[in-house]
Amino acid sequence: MNRALLRLSLACLGMFVLLLVNVNYVQAFRTTSLADAKGNVRVFNQQFKYQRGSIKAGSKTIAASHLVKGNSGNYQRYYPDPEVYAPITGYSEPFGRTGLEEAENSMLSGTDPKLTVHNLVSLVTGHSRQGGTVYTTVVPGVQQAAYAALKAEGRESGVVALDPKTGAILAMASFPSFDPNKYVTLTGKKLERVDKALQLAPGHPLLNHTTQLTYPPGSSFKVITSSAALSQGKVAGPQSTVPAPTQLKLGSKALINDGGEACGDGHPQLIFAFTLSCNTAFGLLGQKVTGPVLHDYANKFGFNNSKLTIPLPVTPSVFPPVTDPAFTAYQAIGQFSDRVTPLQEAMIAATIANGGTMMKPYLVKEVQAPDLSPVLTTTPQELGSPISPTVASQLTQMMVSVTNNPAGTAYATANQNVAGVEIAGKTGTAQNGINNTNLDDAVFTCFAPASNPVIAVGVIVKGGGFGADAAAPIAVKVIQEYLREKGMLP
Amino acid sequence: MTAAQPNAGPTPTGPVGQARPTPTGPVGPAVPRPIPLPPGRRQTELLMLIFAIGVVLAAYAATGLGLNGRLPAGIAGYGVAFAALMLAAHFAVRRLAPWADPLLLPLAALLNGLGIVMIYRLQQSGRHGNPGVRISTISSTTVFYQVIWSAIGIAAFVAVLLLVRETRVLQRYTYTLGAAGLVLLMIPALLPASLSEIQGAKVWITVGGFSIQPGEFAKLALAVFFAGYLVAKRDVLALAGKRVLGIDLPRARDLGPVLICWVASLLILIFETDIGTSAIFFGLFVSMIYIATQRTSWLLIGVGLFLAGAYAASKLSSHVTERFDIWLHPFAGNNATHSAYQLVQGLEGMAYGGILGSGLGHGQPYFTPLAQSDFIISAFGEELGLTGLMAILIIFALIVQRGLRAAVGVRDPFAKLLAGGLSFVLALQVFVIVGGVTGLIPLTGITTPFMSQGGSSLVSSWALIGLLMRVSDTARRPAPQPIQDEGMTQIVRVSG
Repeated sequence: MNRALLRLSLACLGMFVLLLVNVNYVQAFRTTSLADAKGNVRVFNQQFKYQRGSIKAGSKTIAASHLVKGNSGNYQRYYPDPEVYAPITGYSEPFGRTGLEEAENSMLSGTDPKLTVHNLVSLVTGHSRQGGTVYTTVVPGVQQAAYAALKAEGRESGVVALDPKTGAILAMASFPSFDPNKYVTLTGKKLERVDKALQLAPGHPLLNHTTQLTYPPGSSFKVITSSAALSQGKVAGPQSTVPAPTQLKLGSKALINDGGEACGDGHPQLIFAFTLSCNTAFGLLGQKVTGPVLHDYANKFGFNNSKLTIPLPVTPSVFPPVTDPAFTAYQAIGQFSDRVTPLQEAMIAATIANGGTMMKPYLVKEVQAPDLSPVLTTTPQELGSPISPTVASQLTQMMVSVTNNPAGTAYATANQNVAGVEIAGKTGTAQNGINNTNLDDAVFTCFAPASNPVIAVGVIVKGGGFGADAAAPIAVKVIQEYLREKGMLP
Repeated sequence: MTAAQPNAGPTPTGPVGQARPTPTGPVGPAVPRPIPLPPGRRQTELLMLIFAIGVVLAAYAATGLGLNGRLPAGIAGYGVAFAALMLAAHFAVRRLAPWADPLLLPLAALLNGLGIVMIYRLQQSGRHGNPGVRISTISSTTVFYQVIWSAIGIAAFVAVLLLVRETRVLQRYTYTLGAAGLVLLMIPALLPASLSEIQGAKVWITVGGFSIQPGEFAKLALAVFFAGYLVAKRDVLALAGKRVLGIDLPRARDLGPVLICWVASLLILIFETDIGTSAIFFGLFVSMIYIATQRTSWLLIGVGLFLAGAYAASKLSSHVTERFDIWLHPFAGNNATHSAYQLVQGLEGMAYGGILGSGLGHGQPYFTPLAQSDFIISAFGEELGLTGLMAILIIFALIVQRGLRAAVGVRDPFAKLLAGGLSFVLALQVFVIVGGVTGLIPLTGITTPFMSQGGSSLVSSWALIGLLMRVSDTARRPAPQPIQDEGMTQIVRVSG
């Protein structure tokens, strides 16, 4: 009978081995998929049990977690300056996140592999898990000024300020904004109500207007048309003359200049046409460059890039490929179906300011572990060099003219006497809606100081009318605040 | 030296391995030379038992510290009670089974103690200001009763050692116990559902808020019956019939008892909607008939019959069909929040525990329904992690291994069959419940031996350990000493 007993022992051994293999599978290999399972109540509860990392702008805390009063031991999120920073932080609620709360979730929640060692140490030392702190590149004063300027204008709008040399985002404001603290609730019904109200509110307060929404660029696109023409040798330099008729026949329609006026004597210098923003001159220039080449330059400047993250995902600015010369003429002046984000406008100005080299915009400077050791530091990254330094300096000259020449479109709002600094810029007044019946969108892309750029700004005010009137003053305020903080302005 | 040179030492005179050397002393009056007795290993048992008690008390303290940062209020009372119980069992073993295996008692004590700790942890959840959710299926006296049941279990363990001084005592009651086992099994099926059904399984006898699972005791009674029956009939059953494809088929008329058991287990399945108990009874019988006859054909016939029966049942019974659906698709549709809720909660708890576990008192096992009984394994997985759960499984495996070792060592075929069957059925029970809870096989609601809350399982498990220790004591007991030197007559142990 012992032979049978021996075999039975092997069967028992087999059963225990199966059990051991299976519990290893469940507890060591299937943990992630089970943790991600829909409605996992333990993981859901766990998110309140540890201190989520803070988000900071300079020394200012813009999102933090603190213990709820009472003995529940639960942590709660708090946003000290909610509307100003909402487009950056987003919100974090039990069922979902937006903004940096989502983009940097693994760091903030402490689950990122880079924080594993720190978590292991705190496990051994008996401390509870803590998230890492995310330091943004945002300068609080500039952000505050940017939001205040948008709020004063009162229209749906967005403004982005970049450091042209690094791509660091100095300010990123959006209006209308929302209060992420409203999402800090454990009551499902209340959460649903808050979310529904904000989803339906006019002006898309939940969306970051600088990265998630696109607008027609209008004449600000002439910067890229000029870049392409100068780089391709279609025009020798800013002082070369270009044809600029009063009307440009495009099929059944005719392209005219603003107010139907003539552009000088009909053969102005390029810089003059740029300063006055003559449509016919740039329509013809675009046709000369040809649609595919213009498309190529738009792409080099960052259009149609669906992969850009800062680390917030960025809705791509659109420049569709077109070969028809009539449509190319419209595209060359930022009409037809061109769309840009305010961030894209800032990136165009920053590229010119940086001598033709485009830096990747970024919002996160550093992530620190709970013990203050850095786990991630962002190094500036080049996205490419769409134009040469020569062409960049030619464009700088042209953009300075826009604010400096009394005939310039932004002379009244952004000249050196008004702003206290020489600004290089380009206005855009984008017609939109069916048959252009909607209010024009105001666009301004600029950098300052023109001779030694430290800040590049892109602004779009939806329905703001003439670009120089609505958008340029916002950019000026942002620039002034930043230069004051840097001691470059009194 | 050359090979031809004779050996310098004395030439061996007896067969190799002779029990005693030939006396070489001067011829004179025969002096009995006692053979040194093999050690009883009771000191080892005591040491291991103290270690087990220490682990349990540490776990109990850790639970309190984990829950609210304080030592549990009852640590002195429960600690002393638990230690006293287990030491009492140890001293009973010293008297009643001095040669029994030294590991069985400490291993069982450890499992029993850890079970009490986990039930305490679950009882405290949401009570007395502790974090967590109050579990509605646990009352404030659950742990107290579990300790009482442990005491009754130890009493049963001692009683088995006391009453069954020789395994053959049980052989006398083969048919009595067989009948008793069948009656115990059938009672819940015959009782109205109000007195016998809890959560869809009709395996209980409920009297005045007090419920026992007669099947747990029927298991022991039937193991004795099978052992007695098979010892008597093993030669008949082992008789070769036709040989087909290299397998000796039994004669048709010898299939009778297997078929009766198969039908009985299917009846349990149908009337008590309990596939787990049914599998365990059939497994018990098939394993024992295999040990008795060493015929693979019986194994194949048994497993084939069981699979056929289970397949038919899955087609006929909606209960069984649902169990299969839960097993195969726990996350499909709304299963995770409805039929498979318990399994999914258990699995998510284990995943939450991960490799090292959340620590006692730090997890959230209170979300798993019946975490104190059917799903106590997943609660351990969550709070003690993969590490703790593997340790628990290995403790079970060690008990099974010690039991099988006793079966191999004992000479009496009845004891051999009994210990083999009981060990196997313990392994099978652990496999069915742990496999079910961890998603390896379809889940069936049976208890985790020693750990699950509830008295019947605990008492019967302790009685089972009592039987294994009796067999092991028999196996390891040295042969009786000759009263006087009987010259060439020797008592030689024959291995069974």
